Amino acid sequence: MSGPALSITGLQAGLGELQILKGVDLEVPFGEVHALMGPNGSGKSTLCHVLMGKPEYHASGSARVGGTDVLGLPVDERARLGLFEAFQYPVEVPGVTLDDLMGEIAQAAGSGDGFGDRMAAAVAELGMDRFLERPVNEGLSGGEKKRSEIFQLMSMAPKVAILDEIDSGLDIDAVREVAAAVEAMRSPALGVLLITHYSRILRYVTPDRVHVMMAGRIVRSGGPELAEELEAKGYDAIAADLGIDLSEPEDDDGADFLAGL
Amino acid sequence: MLPLTQDTAARAATGLPEPVRARIEHGAALYEKMPMPDPRGEDWRYVELGMDLDDAALPEAPGAPMPGEGVVAAALGEVAGRALSVDGFTVEASGDGLQALHDAGAAAWEAAGRAGIPADLDRFAAAHHAFGRDGVRVDVPAGTAVGAPYLIEVQAVTPGSLVLPRIVVAAGDGAEAAVVVHYRSPDGVALTAVPHVEVGGGANARVSVTVVQTWGDQTTAISQHHHVAGRDGAVELAETGLGGRFARLHLTVDLDGPGADARVLGLYFGDRQQTLDYRAFVNHNAPNTTSDMFLKGAVGDTARSVFTGLIRIEPAGQKTNAHQTNRNLVLSDGAEAHSVPNLEILANDVRCGHGSAVGPLDAEQRYYLMSRGLDRAAADRLQVKGFFEEVLTRYRHQQLEPPLRQAAMAKYAGIIGGSAT
Repeated sequence: MSGPALSITGLQAGLGELQILKGVDLEVPFGEVHALMGPNGSGKSTLCHVLMGKPEYHASGSARVGGTDVLGLPVDERARLGLFEAFQYPVEVPGVTLDDLMGEIAQAAGSGDGFGDRMAAAVAELGMDRFLERPVNEGLSGGEKKRSEIFQLMSMAPKVAILDEIDSGLDIDAVREVAAAVEAMRSPALGVLLITHYSRILRYVTPDRVHVMMAGRIVRSGGPELAEELEAKGYDAIAADLGIDLSEPEDDDGADFLAGL
Repeated sequence: MLPLTQDTAARAATGLPEPVRARIEHGAALYEKMPMPDPRGEDWRYVELGMDLDDAALPEAPGAPMPGEGVVAAALGEVAGRALSVDGFTVEASGDGLQALHDAGAAAWEAAGRAGIPADLDRFAAAHHAFGRDGVRVDVPAGTAVGAPYLIEVQAVTPGSLVLPRIVVAAGDGAEAAVVVHYRSPDGVALTAVPHVEVGGGANARVSVTVVQTWGDQTTAISQHHHVAGRDGAVELAETGLGGRFARLHLTVDLDGPGADARVLGLYFGDRQQTLDYRAFVNHNAPNTTSDMFLKGAVGDTARSVFTGLIRIEPAGQKTNAHQTNRNLVLSDGAEAHSVPNLEILANDVRCGHGSAVGPLDAEQRYYLMSRGLDRAAADRLQVKGFFEEVLTRYRHQQLEPPLRQAAMAKYAGIIGGSAT
């Protein structure tokens, strides 16, 4: 593959009057796993939603998936261009079984895509049999929901996978399971952006690069050792080093609150 | 056709057994006295009937049955008995325990236990008592479990007619039976149907009634039901409401015996200018009784739906457990759904709950589904399908699921091709 899987340049985004992303530049090459870390309210979830195209956000700049700028495109077109978001809070779809959903995804992907084979392999690998006839995300534990997200990801074979807080709310066994799945999905055809608040999952996944986001910008990037530094010093110390005031009101909680209005 | 007069009622009564004639005379007197329903009254709130019974007339003979097998008959498979009613006349009746009222003696006209729709319920009920002269009766003897369902197809075909079919289901102690009723009339034919469905079960009896309502688009249908369960008995009504210009289901359930259970399921979908009007009254008259109402509806174009549900727990109804849920999707700006659950609790040791929702398709679900590559139309269609699936999967006769799902989704396709927002 030529060019990066994901290339974000000068991305600004917000909700209404509220500016949350203030110029994000980030590149994830094919074959690599990057971690994006940051304190609550730094804009991590907003970045996910803006990349996927959640309707209530406005955005400017560019975000290229496999070379194609997806900003301004409908959500489903972004998905078909190869962008996948594993949701922090996968949405329950009452009355629709996972199998129904997979059928619809297959139809949207079109024939000759190899979806069926990948799905069969993913069912076996993740032990999804018993979930296929159950309604999407309904009554599943946190770990089961994440496994279902990874199952869909593996079946769809995107170019870019954004894993939004994929480790949140999981016990340590589930974190290991998710981490193993992330390591297993490494491929020269995929770039992974793993978004996390804690460095915990990075004990089991070794990212090629670590980026730290604060107040709507990427403030530091480095190798895996950056995660260790964060673990040792905490976000506050890094913020102080860089002269960033983390008490700014522009946080994701506020954004979620506004989005719910 | 005959005008709706006392004279017509008297002529209709000729040759019928004495108790039936008394019923008719009482109904005729009430019909003449009662006004059309007051649109300001609580029972008719939120709807506009848009017709007057005095404009209708009584057919003297059944019209020709509609061509082709009904979708319900085709899907249902083996039945315990079968009846066809056309314009209020029972033209076919076969099967153990099933008979046409006009063939049967006075006993067949009697109510099934306490079940019966009072003539003074409203002017439609009075008209039914005054002018109804035929119907179908299903008797299930004590201790008998009938495996396959009875199928009663009710058709109305004659323009301008008032069609008054009566269905009586009487189940003895410990009896079990299922009845499937399919209402049909041709599109474009203005007529009025007032079916009465009366179900009475003894102790430990279990009676389920499944109604598939596919009236034509110019039919005004005022269905009136009364289901009564005895000690440890169970009554169930599952109604799919799809057709009609104006279609109402007025349902009264009485849980008379300790331990009696009622289950009411509903799926309705209104489009164009339809009004679908549900009025459900569940009365817990004895201790340890349970009820569960679960109705889901959608409206599009400029259709309107109403659900008003009242759970009433009498002082005797201690340890009652009662729930009602009504959820509505509003798919077009011009459509409206009203959902009014009510509780009236006169006992002090009960568990009661209700849930009610009216709103558009869920934006979070849409976003999630679209993030998996489904376009907006496919995402919304899947959400609508899932919405109804929660009702359909509770239906007793699973073989009806596919055609009912298909019918609901066909209505949805019609709306999104039109005015959906």
